[in-house]
Amino acid sequence: MATKRRRRAFPRRKVCRFCADSALKIEYKDPKLLKYFITERGKIIPRRISGNCARHQREITLAVKRARQIALMPFTTTLPH
Amino acid sequence: MRRYETLFIITPDSSDDELKTIFEKFQAVVTNKKGQVLSYEEQGKKKLAYDIKKHGKGYYVLMDYLGPADIVAEVERNLRLDERILAYITVKLADNVDPESLKAEVVEPRRTAKPEESGEEAPAAAAEETEREEETE
Repeated sequence: MATKRRRRAFPRRKVCRFCADSALKIEYKDPKLLKYFITERGKIIPRRISGNCARHQREITLAVKRARQIALMPFTTTLPH
Repeated sequence: MRRYETLFIITPDSSDDELKTIFEKFQAVVTNKKGQVLSYEEQGKKKLAYDIKKHGKGYYVLMDYLGPADIVAEVERNLRLDERILAYITVKLADNVDPESLKAEVVEPRRTAKPEESGEEAPAAAAEETEREEETE
C-alpha cells in the first residue's frame, strides 16, 4: 500500500502544566487534580491532547492507576445515551 | 528504615469503637516489626468511584509509617485478613530515613472531617479530637 502523508500536523500547543508550575505535585490521592486528565468515560487522556511532557504524563498515568485501585477514580463510567 | 504510606478503606458502617480497634491493631503491627507510625489520618467517609463489596461509600484512612523492608508484607497481610477493610494501597515514600530525626510522640488518630464530595484535607473537627486524645499506647 502506498503511504499517505498526514495532512494535519499536531500543534505543539502549550507547555506542560507541571513543568511550568513546579509547585503542582501529582498525587494519586488528589482526584480533583487528576480528573482533568481523564475523559468522561474515565480513560486517561493522551499526551498529545493534554499537553504534558513525557515525564509528567507518566506520573499522571501512574497516579490515575493507583487512584483507581483505591476507588478515588473510576475505571470506567457509563455515558448517558 | 524506609518510609511508606498506606491508604486503606474501612467499611463505612463501622462504629467508633471498631475504628479505634483497627488503629490499635495496626499500630501494634507496625511496632512489632520495629517500625514507627508517623501519622494516622482518618479521612472520613467518601463516596467511592465504584462499588466495593456492595458499598457505595467508604471510610478512608491514611497511615504514614517507618520500618524495615519486611514491614509492608506484614501490614498488607493484616489488611487482607481483616474483613472490615475493603481495599488498600501502599506506596514507598523514601529510602534510608533516619528514624531519630522523625521521632514523634504518641500518635493519635487524626480526623480530617470534610464534606463527602471533596478530596481536600480540612482541619479536624475539634470535638472529635478531644475524644481521641484519651488514647494512650
